[in-house]
Amino acid sequence: MARWTPGSDINVTAGPRPLADPDAIRAPSPLAADVPARGSSLWRDGVRRLRRNRLAMAGGVVIVLLCLIAIFADVLAPLPYTKTNFGRLNEAPSRAYPLGTDQLGRDLLSRMIYGARVSMLVGLGAQLIIVAIGVPIGALSGFVGGRTDLALTRFIDVMYAFPRLLFVILVMSMLGAGLTNIFIAIGLTGWVGIARQTRAQVLSIKQKEYVEGARALGSRAGRLLFRHVLPNALTPIVVAVTFGIPEAIFTEAALSFIGVGINPPTPSWGQMVGEGQQYIRSYWHLCVFPSIAIAVTMLAFTFFGDGVRDALDPKMK
Amino acid sequence: MKRPRISDAQMDLLAARLAAGGVGRRDFLRVAAGLAALGAAGFDARPAAAAPKLAAGEKLARDQHFRYGGGGWFQNDPSSHDYNKDLYCSGVPALWAGLMKFDANFQPVPYVAEKISSNAEGSVWTFTIRKDSRWSDGSPCTAKDFEWSWKRQMDPASKNPYSSYFYDIKGAEPFNKGKVPDASQVGVQAKGDWTLEVTLEGPRGYFPVLSAYLAALPAHRPSVEKHGDKWTEAANLVCNGPFTLEAWEHNKVMVLRKNKHFFGAKDVTLDKATIPIISVQSGALPYEGNELDMTSLQTGDLKRLRDDPRTAKQVFRYPFPGTWYLTPQVTKPPFDNLKVRRAVAHAIDRDNVVRVADGFAVAAHSMIPPGFPGAVDDKKIRDIQRFDPKAAMAQLKGTPFEGGRNWPKITLTMREEGYGSKPLAEAVQSVLLEHLNMRTELEVLEQRVFRAGLWKNDYQLVWIRWFMDYPDPHNEYFDTFYGKKTEGKRQAWVNDAFDKELEAGRDTRDLKKRLAHYAKAEEIMQTDVGYIPVAWVARWAAAKPQVRGLEKNKLGETVVEGNIYFDMLPHVYMVERA
Repeated sequence: MARWTPGSDINVTAGPRPLADPDAIRAPSPLAADVPARGSSLWRDGVRRLRRNRLAMAGGVVIVLLCLIAIFADVLAPLPYTKTNFGRLNEAPSRAYPLGTDQLGRDLLSRMIYGARVSMLVGLGAQLIIVAIGVPIGALSGFVGGRTDLALTRFIDVMYAFPRLLFVILVMSMLGAGLTNIFIAIGLTGWVGIARQTRAQVLSIKQKEYVEGARALGSRAGRLLFRHVLPNALTPIVVAVTFGIPEAIFTEAALSFIGVGINPPTPSWGQMVGEGQQYIRSYWHLCVFPSIAIAVTMLAFTFFGDGVRDALDPKMK
Repeated sequence: MKRPRISDAQMDLLAARLAAGGVGRRDFLRVAAGLAALGAAGFDARPAAAAPKLAAGEKLARDQHFRYGGGGWFQNDPSSHDYNKDLYCSGVPALWAGLMKFDANFQPVPYVAEKISSNAEGSVWTFTIRKDSRWSDGSPCTAKDFEWSWKRQMDPASKNPYSSYFYDIKGAEPFNKGKVPDASQVGVQAKGDWTLEVTLEGPRGYFPVLSAYLAALPAHRPSVEKHGDKWTEAANLVCNGPFTLEAWEHNKVMVLRKNKHFFGAKDVTLDKATIPIISVQSGALPYEGNELDMTSLQTGDLKRLRDDPRTAKQVFRYPFPGTWYLTPQVTKPPFDNLKVRRAVAHAIDRDNVVRVADGFAVAAHSMIPPGFPGAVDDKKIRDIQRFDPKAAMAQLKGTPFEGGRNWPKITLTMREEGYGSKPLAEAVQSVLLEHLNMRTELEVLEQRVFRAGLWKNDYQLVWIRWFMDYPDPHNEYFDTFYGKKTEGKRQAWVNDAFDKELEAGRDTRDLKKRLAHYAKAEEIMQTDVGYIPVAWVARWAAAKPQVRGLEKNKLGETVVEGNIYFDMLPHVYMVERA
């Protein structure tokens, strides 16, 4: 049961409440058009619960830090990531090079900082594409139903049957390596899960009384979908995105590890691990530090994602 | 005996035949390797292996067990050991003995044959087979076995992908193509048990070389007829070489045992050899963990083993002549501009670039590595593409890229390969960026994809290496850069003056004059920047101190088992650990 705070009560009176929303019956009203559906207590409640989750907040802090590092890489990195020093190859960490140098005498720290940029770009960029493909397909399938649903669902099932990483590798080998192509490859293969979840959500919300009510009042399909159904289906999508980001980052790392991801000299953590692992017994730092970076990022997103899921789960209230 | 002269027409004929039949030109050329170096000594009979030479105080180990592999050797399970059917089965050659074999200098010497002779023009060859030649089950291995084996290879029914290997033999081609169904028309004939007479399509002075290669190894008829494709499994295999296959656990390990019926058995000291099938990723770990007595080394491990005083003396370099170089595609901007190509050539800081290869590369100023015929060490040639960042920038004056600006998107393409190829390519990227402000993207392609694009001359700038197939400049220049080549051409660059030098080199007999032609060709190619030499290949292996008997070649380098030379195991022996 919801424990309404005074703040959220004010909120309720100020705008429509998405779940079991009696205001929906009033639609279309000028008031409803002015106030967007999202400003609900569910979200505020969720944020509050999220903030209480220490593990999730720790993850969140790491994520924010990573984003900052990615944005300000040019300022933060002590050296350009291409700067080689052939006199100091494969050096262990020292004062001049805090994390040591790589096979070409490049500063490992600087390369890791720029690697964060690639990872964050891939994580966010790929999710954008995934959402842009997955949500419309899922929504359409669930909302329209009938033959459209059947066709789209079968298509989703077919896509689901492909082994994900193999499919990404296939797409990459057709498009060629490179950052943009990684977005596309991950996007093209990653939308299936989110489409399924959106469809399921839309299917169930479509049956809700307030949607029926809106329909009875003569709302058009588009309005129904965008005003009443989709906003209420957002929760699982948000959760899926939070988990999708680390998955995309990891996929990029895996691709670069096997050499079909980012092209040198642009640094990527996965590529650094891949190149460093054959030297692990001679120069341990080459693959250990980027591995730690990948691991910490994964953990941060996973903790944060767990927190978001718990916070938005109505059963957890 | 006197060796019949081998004309170029003969060589070309053979090359064309083999290429048409699916044997890669490079592999054929590898076979031909011995010819270029073949001395007047000819085909004297020699012992199968030399007896161990023990130093004072040294004792042969009681357990003559040798374990080798790893670091790229035997990284995949062999498809079979049936060289008679499939030249590329990647099985263990030491199970077999051919009529001839290659010695450490890649010269063909008699093996199962004790004497070979030919008619004056070299169109009929007679192999006299040792009377003590035996299969591992004790039965005699006779001329009839070789006749049957060679005909099996040509038989269209056996569907051998490399059957054209023997098209020099009279009637082999029509028989193989099914035009003549009768194998008795083929010019391989056992005259009694111990004489094999081979009649060829014409004069073929090189035939002994063919008979020394893996493709000419025999197969054991009763086993093949009984077990079909499974006849080279350990339980079924009957062979005639210095070793037998005691066990073969697929994808895991092969165990060889000395073949007591082998005619040279008394000279073979090893009793047992173990070859685990290990992926290249495990590096030198099995060797350091004392699971192997000898291993090939990859970049990650060489330096550590060499720096460690306990292992420093176990490491040795073995000949694997090859060259890493760049080819700028003269049909693609910006490399259609000679000045840009020259700028790139001057910007390659070779001494620094090779450092990243950790010992697997040596700075190169020309195609042929030192110590091989055709190597040039001429200041004039050294200077053409010398590292000089100022000269590099100066070349860009007057071009659209003056001052290192306005570069289009440039992709440097290479194939997936170990041995430090990728760090080298990245180092090349870095010096280009540093000295010309030229940013390149490195694209690493899978072998087959790479080759397809390469032959279409699709790539802008290529990082590539060439392994020498046989010690003659013809191989390095003609086989890759000759402008009138119709297939397998790796770059669009063509230069008529260069081609003329190559033709002159090919058609000249006198070695000194030939080499002068090739030196001139190198000069032309470097001046016109058809290629940019960067590094020579170096390869390394490590062997425990108790491993002895590895052969050395004329240059004094230790030779290990490879594609041509596979006579290593009969020479190896183990001594007691000090």
